[in-house]
Amino acid sequence: MQPPPPSNDVSRRGFFQLTLGWLAGSFAAGATAAAAVRFLVPNVLYEPSQRFKAGRPEDYVDGSVTFLEDERVFLVRKGRTFRCLSAVCTHLGCTVNRVGQGYHCPCHGSVFDDEGSVKAGPAPRALEWFAVTMSRDNRLVIDKNLRVRADKFLVV
Amino acid sequence: MSAPRVQRLFHWFQRTRVGRSIFRVGLPQSNLERSQAMVSSFLLHVQPAKVGRHALRPSTTFGLGLISLYLFFILIGTGVLLMFYYVPSTGHAYDVMKDLQFVVSAGLIVRNMHRWAAHLMVFFVMLHLCRVFYTAAYKPPREFNWVIGTGLFLVTLGLSFTGYLLPWDQLAFWAITVGSNIAGYAPVIGPKLQFLMLGGHTVGQEALTRFYALHVIVLPSIALLMISVHLFRVRKDGGLARPDEPANTVQQMEVSQLPTNKSYGLMELARGTTPQVGLNPADEVFSWPNLVFRELLLLLATIAVVLFLAIFWNAPLEELANPIHPPNPAKAPWYFLGLQELVSYSAFWGGVVVPGVLVAGLVFLPYLDRQRRGVGRWFAPERKLATTLFTIGLIIAIVLTTIGTVFRGPNWSWQVPWKQSPAPTEGP
Repeated sequence: MQPPPPSNDVSRRGFFQLTLGWLAGSFAAGATAAAAVRFLVPNVLYEPSQRFKAGRPEDYVDGSVTFLEDERVFLVRKGRTFRCLSAVCTHLGCTVNRVGQGYHCPCHGSVFDDEGSVKAGPAPRALEWFAVTMSRDNRLVIDKNLRVRADKFLVV
Repeated sequence: MSAPRVQRLFHWFQRTRVGRSIFRVGLPQSNLERSQAMVSSFLLHVQPAKVGRHALRPSTTFGLGLISLYLFFILIGTGVLLMFYYVPSTGHAYDVMKDLQFVVSAGLIVRNMHRWAAHLMVFFVMLHLCRVFYTAAYKPPREFNWVIGTGLFLVTLGLSFTGYLLPWDQLAFWAITVGSNIAGYAPVIGPKLQFLMLGGHTVGQEALTRFYALHVIVLPSIALLMISVHLFRVRKDGGLARPDEPANTVQQMEVSQLPTNKSYGLMELARGTTPQVGLNPADEVFSWPNLVFRELLLLLATIAVVLFLAIFWNAPLEELANPIHPPNPAKAPWYFLGLQELVSYSAFWGGVVVPGVLVAGLVFLPYLDRQRRGVGRWFAPERKLATTLFTIGLIIAIVLTTIGTVFRGPNWSWQVPWKQSPAPTEGP
């Protein structure tokens, strides 16, 4: 008995079987990959809150720039106005140092002026300014989620 | 005990029932047994029973790939030992480093060996890459093995990078801060990728846990699998590249081409489409002992050098990681300092575009290079353009790395290494 000649034609049933098979296979692989990636995205962060209290206004001397270590921000007081500047370099995330009337990043040499604008170095953007508000118990509240323009003050 | 007595003891053991069950062949006495020894042993069968004389010449490869493999073995051995003490916790990791230095017996030397072997592995993998390029050993049929090799190069860098965070000292913390921020510059997925890598917004406990998992199981497993494929392909693609290789592996050797004054059987001559075609049995020697003993010697030399380094130089360990004060200057490990120098001009161009183009260029190199000649020869004159371009790239990389390593001082400003640099500027 002769075997049937090989044929390249796909029957209707064969076509549906192939389609269904490939669809099911790709869906299973894709869903598994998506679930694995989603698994790696944390749902809860145990990081310090982005919103924190920074003490009473009178804790800060007029004309001072105070570095708040744990929060990596500078609190700037001029007269009755308060502003808060990020100490995280916009280049690659190092902590900048206050040098003279500006800020220097030790990692790749970015230099920022008193207003946080880039004077030199590879930093692509100015340092961020964060919103400063006052709580009911007369404490300064800084919210690092709220970015504001450099000319926005809290007046006390 | 004298050498003959050891040999006699081994021969006696080999003839016992237990001995015969372990060593099928024993110490080979004839050419037949030399072949059988290679084929019947699990550890040796990876290699052919006979090798071409050119493969034994040191100048063919300088053993660079093999040295990288040996360093990988040393890293697994010392790494597993370190795992018995290490705790991937921001509160404990640094204490464990101090224990390894001062309390654990031989802890210092194991950590030193791990660190120096890691640096050496990066170095030898780079040298191996250069050797394969300069001898044109990536040309057909070895294109895909070059691609796997490029992957192994990246996995080696990944292993170094993830291992860098584990001591949780200043160097670790700031190198990973800088490195993960570079990932954040990647187009579209950058910030998400950075978040996924760190398991948060900053380098902390989550990042340490993730890097630990990557360093001790994920990346080593990938490396082991890829190394296996890499070695398998070396054999299946016709062994080491050689100058007299037939340009087209499909070429078939006719019986009439065989030398008539030899008596070896036709089974030694490969026919058909395998890359073995064209191998001349007259140019081959038995792997046992010619190849095996050379390889053992190289293994001993590699271990000796790593031990020597580990005994006389301690692996660096800076102060405990301090997220508030980056060291000034904050430097990455030496193999990333060229990249860091580029990044100091522009994070996007230096940290994403240039490395991306370089990696893509390396991966696609064997498919872009259409010149078929020059295989198995150093700096073949037919490949003047390719050799020149590669050498220019290499020199640029070396210059950038040198600048980043010795000519950059506090605030990443220029300094001359033989002059005392000014004290680092501190905050108020």
